[in-house]
Amino acid sequence: MGQDNKAIEVSGITKKFGSIVAVNNVSFDVIEDEIFGFLGPNGAGKTTLVRILTTLVKPTSGAARVAGYDVVKESDAVRHHIGVVPQAMTSDLDLTGYENMDIYGRFYSVAAKERKERIKYLLETVGLTARAHDLVATYSGGMRRRLEIARVLVHRPGILFLDEPTIGLDPQSRHVVWDFLRKLREEFTMTVFLTTHYMEEAETLSGRVAIIDSGKIIALGSPSELKSQIPGNDIVSLTADKLSENIIDTIKNQNYVHKIVIENTTIRVYVDNGAQHLPQLIDEIRLSGGKILSAAIHEQSLEDVFIHHTGKSIREEEVRKVSYLVGAGTPQKWGR
Amino acid sequence: MIDMVRLLAVVERDLKKFQRNPVVLGMSIMMPIIYLIFLGNSFQGKLQGIPMVIVDQDTGPYARNLIDNLRAIEAGPETIEIFNMKDQKDAIRSIREGFYKAGLIIPPDFSKRVTLKRRPEVGLFLDNTDNISAETLRIVVKGALNSLDARYVPIRERTDEVHLRGVDLYRKVDYYQSLVPGVVIMAIFMGTLTTGAFNLVMDRFLGIDECYLLTPISKSDIVTGLIISGLFITTVIAVLVLAVSMVITGIPVIAGIKQYVSIIIVIILTTLGLLSLMFVILGRFNHPRVVGILSGFLNVILFFPSGAVYPIESFPQWLKALARVNPEAYAVDALKTILFKGAGLSSIVSDIAFLSAFTLLMMTISIVTFKRTV
Repeated sequence: MGQDNKAIEVSGITKKFGSIVAVNNVSFDVIEDEIFGFLGPNGAGKTTLVRILTTLVKPTSGAARVAGYDVVKESDAVRHHIGVVPQAMTSDLDLTGYENMDIYGRFYSVAAKERKERIKYLLETVGLTARAHDLVATYSGGMRRRLEIARVLVHRPGILFLDEPTIGLDPQSRHVVWDFLRKLREEFTMTVFLTTHYMEEAETLSGRVAIIDSGKIIALGSPSELKSQIPGNDIVSLTADKLSENIIDTIKNQNYVHKIVIENTTIRVYVDNGAQHLPQLIDEIRLSGGKILSAAIHEQSLEDVFIHHTGKSIREEEVRKVSYLVGAGTPQKWGR
Repeated sequence: MIDMVRLLAVVERDLKKFQRNPVVLGMSIMMPIIYLIFLGNSFQGKLQGIPMVIVDQDTGPYARNLIDNLRAIEAGPETIEIFNMKDQKDAIRSIREGFYKAGLIIPPDFSKRVTLKRRPEVGLFLDNTDNISAETLRIVVKGALNSLDARYVPIRERTDEVHLRGVDLYRKVDYYQSLVPGVVIMAIFMGTLTTGAFNLVMDRFLGIDECYLLTPISKSDIVTGLIISGLFITTVIAVLVLAVSMVITGIPVIAGIKQYVSIIIVIILTTLGLLSLMFVILGRFNHPRVVGILSGFLNVILFFPSGAVYPIESFPQWLKALARVNPEAYAVDALKTILFKGAGLSSIVSDIAFLSAFTLLMMTISIVTFKRTV
């Protein structure tokens, strides 16, 4: 690897499928040993980018180096240095958890003795020792995900790719996976490239986050850096019975209000010191003829960063698509 | 290119998965055997028990002779089953209603005309929609009429007639037995269709192919590994099917060790040929439905021109050309040669050469065209 300690270098990568531009001239670097989060809604191009970086898809133009090797010209060398947990579940249902890991280790030519020790240790780490010799078909979604993350570590990859590692998991399993990933980071030094459409996931796990929408990176930095780009420090969400020009102007004219975003009947107001200003804001709205049905104050999150840059919410598209992704793999086109 | 550790991992993965599905193994063995039993009994080499109605309006000596001759056929080769009726109209209606395939009407003056040699006639009403039965009945009745005088056998043997002396070069092979090579090939076909490349299709369908495409495993490791595991499974199936078929059809186990070694070699080469052919055909698909559709189609275009059920020599030119590049045709020829002629490897050198070359070509194509990307 180069002296600049770049684990991944992406310069001007574009990928087109027919007329659809999945990834649009994306450039960024991932520094060795950091957790780099790639946050964006479904269909933003995250998986395509992971597939390009992990040699499964060739870019239409641009270049990328992973672990110092070109992903197109030196794809074999790249594969030796990476571990990938694809978005879809890829463990073999007809094999046991142990067999899944063992066969995977052999694909990387990990010596028998080492393989055995590592599998034993990893299964214990992910809490699957008791179920190691059961068929994966009997595992829950969360167990299967943990197995797949453990499996990819059998060959001790220098760079770990996690494509939506907790998609389709219930909140409890999600937290188990997160804890496991944090624990892993304490034990192994490795670069982690993580894609997600869960704000919380990107925020709690990543050192730096790139926000992607429609194939383009729209913001890049640490979660706190990104949040500091948003005006104000709190967000007040208000639901009103009706919204007139008058009411909106009233809100805008308050000196502590930085910006407002309207989604249906909900108004997101970017303010300083929300707790202090909320009662005053409600009074002003009432005076101008509006009625507030509900109000909430929350600290700024990466979700707000996304809304700030794109004017839309990541969540909007989330619910519809997740349901059929659970355990069924990525929906694919026919006749590849 | 090929790494033994990875290759064996592919083989073991496939064998383990197969072993977890014992039903598939059982069905792979049962189906060709049931096929043998059904084909052997429903589509006989000759016809049997064709229902035929006779209306005897003559009841004279020659009518009786004719009926006796037909009764002899009914009792002997059992080609026909005879029924009697009084009325010609009833008989013809019954044929139209599908009760009989033919009606033989012997007119009242039949015996008289025979005696007087005045153009005697019988009427044969045929259900000609069943072409095969109708033709057979025509021949049967003609035969019975020709030997109408057979009762009066000439005393002296005729010396001016040419005698045909047929000599069977090999022991007798009945129709049932002659199907066995085809059934073994069918077992190999089924085995190669559901192992090898089928794993790729299923892995793609389930989206789990990524888990190995992302590893340093090479294209040759994947293709060769799946061919080895498919070869193992299919050979076991084919040998078991052969053994059971030989018992069922009574093919004597007279051959020596050499013959059995030759048979195993042919089975292995045929399996390799078909497995690599399947890789070329199925290698790019990602839905099991495609395999379902192709299985029937491939079976027809490979099995029927293979000579397993009908001799290749009688095919039209274009079909003969197809048979010349059909691995199943060489496999059938090799198995027939060993099983029925008791020959050894030296008699099937050309078959073995073709199957080896075919395998090598197909394997190369499948590895070269294998796509690592998704």
